[in-house]
Amino acid sequence: MLLSVGLRASVHVVVAESDTAVALGSGDVPVLGTPRLLALAEAAAVAAVAPQLARGETTVGTSVTMEHRRASPVGSSLVIEAELTEVDGQRLVFSFIAREEHSRAQAPGARPPGADASRTQAPAAAPLEDEAPWAQAPEAGALGGDERVVGAGTLERVVVSRERFLARAAAHHPGPQ
Amino acid sequence: MSEIRAEMVANVWKVVATPGEQVHDGDTLVILESMKMEIPVLAESDGTLTKLAVAEGDVIQEGDLIAVIE
Repeated sequence: MLLSVGLRASVHVVVAESDTAVALGSGDVPVLGTPRLLALAEAAAVAAVAPQLARGETTVGTSVTMEHRRASPVGSSLVIEAELTEVDGQRLVFSFIAREEHSRAQAPGARPPGADASRTQAPAAAPLEDEAPWAQAPEAGALGGDERVVGAGTLERVVVSRERFLARAAAHHPGPQ
Repeated sequence: MSEIRAEMVANVWKVVATPGEQVHDGDTLVILESMKMEIPVLAESDGTLTKLAVAEGDVIQEGDLIAVIE
């Protein structure tokens, strides 16, 4: 396990109907649901450290603090970036920030909302030497161009043996025979 | 005599050692589970494990006695 502060990755998504609070059951408005934003942040955090884990290891989430600051209608393009900020034995702490890349008014010829089933791009690891984006201007409205902060927060995950973790989970909650 | 006590709230996942057994400093006595992690409880000295105060499935609190080595 070669985990060090500064590892990071990002996830891109175009908000679809299935991402909305209505679809997730977490509200009754057709905008990006907070649980979905959290899932995207977790995905970015997972991707940030996955290449550095030993065979058989994985990470599991244990704690979250998150602000969901801005509503994102269907069709919004978001990028969620996560960075490893602390390593304490098996415990990992990440910071994340979610930005809306473009307004809902897409340029002519832009992909319509929900038109592409592969709208969520695979997480991409960022070069380590790049400056962390949230270290510059994390507040909503402070970013240039049409980028807007949608949410931000911290995540904690722990490194575990996948096999042993699943064995313990099964022992606690045996399934139907 | 050394008493080994819990440093956090946890579930007792596995009891590895047996009362009466000779143990050595660093031997795993019990494996706890907390925050999805396995946390081994180790002997802090050589001696005989005279008491094991927990059983698998127990929920223990910070400060609870886990084992006694004499």
